[in-house]
Amino acid sequence: MPALRGVTFELPPGDVLLVVGPSGSGKSTLALAIAGLIPRDVPATLTGRLTVDGQDPSTAADVGLVFQDPSSQLVMERVEDDVAFGLENRAWDPAAMHERVPTALAQVGLDGFERRRARRLSGGQRQRLALAGVLAPAPGLLVLDEPTANLDPSGATAFMAELVRRRQARDTTMVLIEHRVELAWPLADQVLAIDATGAVIDIGPPAGVLARSRATMATAGIWLPDDGLRTKRAGRRGGQAPGRTAPSAHATPGPAVVTATDLRFGYDRADPVVRDVTLAIGAGERVALVGPNGSGKSTLARLLVGLLRPAAGAVRLLGDDPARLSPAALARRAGFVFQEPERQFLATTVLDEVRLGLPSAHHGAAEALMERLRLPLATFGPRSPYRLSGGEQRRLSLACGLVRDPALLVLDEPTFGQDRLGYEGLLEILNERLAAGAAMLAATHDQHFVRDACSRVIELDEGWIAPSADGAVPSADGAVPSADGAVP
Amino acid sequence: MSLAARLEVADPQLDSLLGRVSPVLKVGIALVWLVALAFTTSVVAPLLLAAGALAAGLVLGAVPLAAIGRTLAPLAVAAAAVGLSNAVFAAANVDPEATELLTIGPLRITVEAVAAGAAIAARLTAIASLGAVVTLTTDSTRLADALVQQARVSPRFAYGALAAYQAIPRFSEDLATLRQARRIRGLRGSWHPRLLLGLLVLAIRHGDRLALGMDARGFGLGQRSHYRVVRWGWRDVLVGGGSVAILWLAMQAAGVAGR
Repeated sequence: MPALRGVTFELPPGDVLLVVGPSGSGKSTLALAIAGLIPRDVPATLTGRLTVDGQDPSTAADVGLVFQDPSSQLVMERVEDDVAFGLENRAWDPAAMHERVPTALAQVGLDGFERRRARRLSGGQRQRLALAGVLAPAPGLLVLDEPTANLDPSGATAFMAELVRRRQARDTTMVLIEHRVELAWPLADQVLAIDATGAVIDIGPPAGVLARSRATMATAGIWLPDDGLRTKRAGRRGGQAPGRTAPSAHATPGPAVVTATDLRFGYDRADPVVRDVTLAIGAGERVALVGPNGSGKSTLARLLVGLLRPAAGAVRLLGDDPARLSPAALARRAGFVFQEPERQFLATTVLDEVRLGLPSAHHGAAEALMERLRLPLATFGPRSPYRLSGGEQRRLSLACGLVRDPALLVLDEPTFGQDRLGYEGLLEILNERLAAGAAMLAATHDQHFVRDACSRVIELDEGWIAPSADGAVPSADGAVPSADGAVP
Repeated sequence: MSLAARLEVADPQLDSLLGRVSPVLKVGIALVWLVALAFTTSVVAPLLLAAGALAAGLVLGAVPLAAIGRTLAPLAVAAAAVGLSNAVFAAANVDPEATELLTIGPLRITVEAVAAGAAIAARLTAIASLGAVVTLTTDSTRLADALVQQARVSPRFAYGALAAYQAIPRFSEDLATLRQARRIRGLRGSWHPRLLLGLLVLAIRHGDRLALGMDARGFGLGQRSHYRVVRWGWRDVLVGGGSVAILWLAMQAAGVAGR
């Protein structure tokens, strides 16, 4: 079955093409093909004709490709060496390289970072470094495959601002794949919408595509530019409807499920990652843990379920120290979803993965849950977890964390890579679990999820709980840049 | 975190004389010294070479004493353990003609066995010292550059290895996460052999992605140029000459001590 079918478009110089589609629809395949890596590096059959500036991209190398994860494209230890890498590969003259590298860094706001080590930069800085490396050889076409997926809101905004500047200058032709629709749609001159089977739904100027194919795109699970406002309304409606509990800041939480007292943790004793954190999460409460990349969110999440032992302070999960519980007892009380799904897989098939360590009494529940998460075991059971798309991997890891119906759910970036159907399905399942008395802590960059699913926000900043932020969920108005009016 | 920091060489060392010498020369010196060590059974020569390497590291390489200590401590323990076991379990101990040094219960330790054990420990110490000084003054990027430009190593191999080296801290994080994933799923045994398979899969997938990322940036298209040009210079002559002199002195001293 082809990953993509019947894709035809022509992009004039300086224009921006936005590619949208549900998870697993072949967007990344298109990006790799345009960059000339299919079929050169990734074995596949390509029919039809693909040219960039009239040339075959697999030999011309005039295309720059930015990936989702900066760690798979930063090669060198130091910033300047990494920017120079692409120039070296194109045999630039050394003198010209030494002139070009600082310019490319300045273009992405990293001037003065030449001698720094790439590993020490924040996620947002690393992604901008990757962009500088790709821009340095001045490619005729820039392909960006979900470049802000791993970035916190401020990192994503800074990155997108750079793209806006390029769009206004009309000096770079771009193909952009991006889930943050409210940032991406205003940039687009053309939108290409693909459905789950890789067939084209529509292509054309954004206003026209939205007018013609809004319903088809919504059914296919594609995020639309005004979705941020719509899901909020849906959430409000749900709050009044019986059977679905919407988040409310005023709901009185039940008895504490997990408490942390003066929690401190550091890989390096002089520089703790989590500093003097005190918090309590009650039954039915849904807490969003927000903060920039590297602020200690993932570490705090792991401390709360005893996967890490604090250097000082105490954690109590239903009265016990989770680090001292037996694995079986811990698994009954807490479910945990790791930030990167691939790094938590322990089995060779999807069926074995979701059943791992699971008492056979729960096997029925596992099957039903997988069905609801659109990973029916009849189809997905025998597959390898590593062969799933990013969005599917995330849903499998969610199933593994939710299947035992634990009292505490700790979710690290639960909505990562989810299209609209995956997002709404997850929200529904979480709503049921929380209404039944489970407590949730979700470390997230997704401001929609914070508004739609959380009743309280805890903001971490360099390991401290930010004093003003332990409170209500920000309102829909102004919290997320709205795409209204920005779409031509 | 700490592993990532340990892989980094600090600026003062990189800007020192030894830091600016060609990494290829340093590796070459290490190889020559290793070969020479294989031809001596003396205890004096390896210890002199170790002292020479450490002195060069401290003075010419600006390596802090503490850094050398931290790197060498586990290796010194290993060298002592290997030396001791060689002294205790040597064939010479059951040779009736060997000179007896002492007996501990059923164990008979001979002078010949202790000498052999000491020689082995001394050689290991020399190798460890040399290795520590080379790694503590060598930037991985510069090593790859020098291998490509001066030793004509294939860029695909050198920069591929460099990228893999950058990924080492990632593997320790992978292992920690997989162990935590087992525990939260209710499984005992955080050192289960299945973890190795998981680690291998993650390593291969990361390698694949990195290779794709490198190719996406035009790696392997054809002729490359070099951002950092590595050239032989007076520092290389100086350090190369000095290394030969130390080796010659150590061998002379071994000869004198042996007579």
